[in-house]
Amino acid sequence: MTSEFLLEIGTEELPASFVTHALRSMKAGALELVGQARLGTDSLEVHTLGTPRRLALRLRGLAPNQPDRDETVMGPPWSAAFEADGAPKKAAIGFAKKHGVAVDDLQKQTTEKGDYVSARVHEAGKATAAVLAEILPHVCQRITFPKSMRWGSGEISFGRPIHWVVSLLGSEVVDFEFAGVRAGRGTRGHRFLAPETFDLDEASNYEEALERAHVLVDLEVRKERMMEGLLAAAKALGGVLEPDAFLADECVSLVEQPFTVPGSFDPSFLELPETVVISVMRDHQRYFAVRASEGGALLPAYLNVVNTAQDPETIAKGNDRVLRARLADARFFVEEDRKAPLADRLQKLESVVFQSKLGTMGAKVRRLQANARALAEQSGVDAAACMEAARLCKADLETLIVFEFPELQGEMGRWYALREGMDSAIADAIRDHYRPQGAEDVVPDQVVGAVVAVADRIDTLVGCFGIGLVPTGSADPFALRRAALGIIRIALEGPIDIDLRQLIDQAYRHYAGDADLTPADEVRASLDDFFRGRIRAMLKDAHGGDVVNACLGAWDGTSLRDLRSRIEAVSELGAAPEFEALAIAFKRAFNITKESARGPIDRALLEAGAESALAERFETVRDQIREATGERRYAAALKLVAKELGAPIDRFFEEVFVMVDDARVRDNRLRLLGEIADTVNGIAHFHQLGTKLQRRDPSVSA
Amino acid sequence: MTFQELILALERFWAERGCLIVQPYNSEVGAGTFNPHTFLRAIGPEPWNVAYVEPSRRPTDGRYGENPNRLQQFHQYQVILKPSPPDIQDLYLESLRALGTNPTHHDIRFIEDDWESPTLGAWGLGWQVWLDGLEISQFTYFQQCGGIDCKPVSGELTYGLERIAMYLQDVDDVYELQWAPGIRYGDIYKRAEWEWSTYNFEQADVDLQKNLFGEYEKQVAALLGLSAKKGKGGALQFDREPLERLVLPAYDAVIKCSHYFNVLDARGAISVTERQRYIGRVRLIARAVAESWYAQREALGFPLLDTAAAAQ
Repeated sequence: MTSEFLLEIGTEELPASFVTHALRSMKAGALELVGQARLGTDSLEVHTLGTPRRLALRLRGLAPNQPDRDETVMGPPWSAAFEADGAPKKAAIGFAKKHGVAVDDLQKQTTEKGDYVSARVHEAGKATAAVLAEILPHVCQRITFPKSMRWGSGEISFGRPIHWVVSLLGSEVVDFEFAGVRAGRGTRGHRFLAPETFDLDEASNYEEALERAHVLVDLEVRKERMMEGLLAAAKALGGVLEPDAFLADECVSLVEQPFTVPGSFDPSFLELPETVVISVMRDHQRYFAVRASEGGALLPAYLNVVNTAQDPETIAKGNDRVLRARLADARFFVEEDRKAPLADRLQKLESVVFQSKLGTMGAKVRRLQANARALAEQSGVDAAACMEAARLCKADLETLIVFEFPELQGEMGRWYALREGMDSAIADAIRDHYRPQGAEDVVPDQVVGAVVAVADRIDTLVGCFGIGLVPTGSADPFALRRAALGIIRIALEGPIDIDLRQLIDQAYRHYAGDADLTPADEVRASLDDFFRGRIRAMLKDAHGGDVVNACLGAWDGTSLRDLRSRIEAVSELGAAPEFEALAIAFKRAFNITKESARGPIDRALLEAGAESALAERFETVRDQIREATGERRYAAALKLVAKELGAPIDRFFEEVFVMVDDARVRDNRLRLLGEIADTVNGIAHFHQLGTKLQRRDPSVSA
Repeated sequence: MTFQELILALERFWAERGCLIVQPYNSEVGAGTFNPHTFLRAIGPEPWNVAYVEPSRRPTDGRYGENPNRLQQFHQYQVILKPSPPDIQDLYLESLRALGTNPTHHDIRFIEDDWESPTLGAWGLGWQVWLDGLEISQFTYFQQCGGIDCKPVSGELTYGLERIAMYLQDVDDVYELQWAPGIRYGDIYKRAEWEWSTYNFEQADVDLQKNLFGEYEKQVAALLGLSAKKGKGGALQFDREPLERLVLPAYDAVIKCSHYFNVLDARGAISVTERQRYIGRVRLIARAVAESWYAQREALGFPLLDTAAAAQ
């Protein structure tokens, strides 16, 4: 019968982000040390619990006693340990002493490397409590934090100062000391609602005892309780809670027992942009917003998760006052900002550094406009609108409201632009050019936004690659991977296609006079490589790495949608039953002809039967295949290949021996196969395909 | 509770708990931390418990007296407890009771807020303290000062007096605070805010501030005998013995440099790249002062260690 063990470290208020981090390292450390100390069993359970003021660990299924240890320990080489006459040297005496055996009991072990001393060690297992007392200080030391600190006159570093330690095996204290604090059974409840120290009699009573002292020590339980409170309070206000997962995690880590206190603000503040009101509440005050209905208008109210609610009216009154001042500030910023048009901020961008070697934001904006214009003209969309959106898209960075709420960049630019009476396509583009912000975010759905988004990202990519700021490993400070993925996704999911090579070359040219970049060839080559890497990473799950590689091989690095058509065509064909035979045949044709010369086929040299049949079939359909390929109708081209050439080429390889002695016949045969291989390779490099193409989930598209 | 009663209540509270009550520094500082009673005393092994009001200048926060919450000069109440005592949080909460605020009737929370002063080469971990959603204090465990590890660690409590007073007096506009019966905050400071805002943002002579910065920077080097050459691993070199260095006048010059930098910043006279260089220059001389202070106290045998031992 094993007892439950509980370790609780009581601290001053840990930052919200520290608790989960610390508990993870505490669990890992405990598992490792318990294992090393031979206290683990198959039924060992390690569970962590925590609040801002405590980190706790519960172990169930510990071994009731540490098992004995019998082991042969290897020591120094025999010759280093004993004289030739068998008298022990210092090394032998030291080794024997270290392992608690007599020198006479040392044994000789013969190994590949020679003779060594060994000792047969027997260590009696100790009581579990005694072993725990030895390892617990190390368990505590293994706890890590994003940042640690010292306090008082101590040398120990921890997330925040430690005040108490509880260490109970069943009902017995496991005695140890950490950071100058002696472990015991005395814990504390909620800082304000149950501040007295009290004793825990049993490890297994921990959660119940603390709940009586107003502490919900299990984060999940606490969160559940908090969400219930929030939902009920929103309902009581006649509205619905604006969900916010980040805020929920933050709030639950700031309290030991969650209470909800609703508050309100003057409805006139709802004239501010909604995002501003939500940002003020969320980022500055950690309040939840409430809407009249799902997706409906904001109510002039908020919900505040607090640690104590003895006097909710006082708390609400204080919070209302703070929010009122914050909203008044925001209103002041918005009013000040609106005194001058957005475009007036462009001058200020001239003195803001984009990147020290790449010049100012002002210069970036000019390049952005040039990029946008070129891209718009190539895509046949309104270049004037795109250039205007590009000119203004960074202007809100110099507004007071964005200085105060950086996360509102784009949103506020749009809002100001609309109030200045600007065309909504331009205003929307100011917001949308930051999209997609991540894998979860949508791409701009309108052309102007898409053009500016691409113009911005390619400028950053070309500039950074041009000065050697290339992402390595996990280091990608300019988020270049995300920028490249953004461009790819905009081309594939958004309203415009992108010619990647042209885009890179244009962006490079627009740096002329602004920065010294490495030669264009190098930038183009390394970016081409970088983009191919991103494309592979992005599409391999949906289509298979070999399909993507085969298509990348045939792709010329220009149109991204062209690449997608190839991938889709190959994927579609890959799903057909005849595909495998076809892939094998073309792979063979490619491999056999990759070294041989190309040239016209001499009909007179063709052998009657399979060879002539293949040549004839090919000649009939060759131009159609090439035409379809040239027109980027890859699915049609591949259908022709499969339908017209599948059977003849199979028959050819079955019946015809290619490498005959007659050089003229052989070379003619190779020219025929070579031309077929080249034609098919114009669509995708079949030789890069695995022959076992699995059927991919058709619901996942590029 | 008037503004001055608030100050008096804190003075009494901390005096009763063994703090020296000292006076604000007589030069322009951005925060109570700059006062040598904090910055220098936090360095080295000697114990130190002190409390004082610090009028603190933040030129960029000026709003010409038009914003009800923002000032270019405000008042901090600064408490240093070195080494930080184990009951420092409880002491702080008790001090709120001394101001007539019962912590259990409010929502009081300790929210992570790490502090760093790049110019002073100082940083610490701690919290902002929220009272019903209002940040009323900063709470910091100093880890480094002037680039020197703090051993022992000082606990720093900084009360934002205007905010607390606005809360206690239930007013939304700082200028409506009662400083003393019949005298409002605005009667004393509204015009001052307008003048200083106008000075800091519009009229401060840029060349003068730049010159003063450079001259005081040179003063620090001269007063400490700081060598232009650095030793192994970037160690600072001094041509004067610790007790021959004029550490306090040198530190005064550091404070001046920091202030002129702040004015230049508010005046919009410093570009982004220059900004980093200015900060680096102040940090260097702050470090030279910090190291000299330590060396000097060491040469004197850390006298307050004996005083503390005798007191016990």
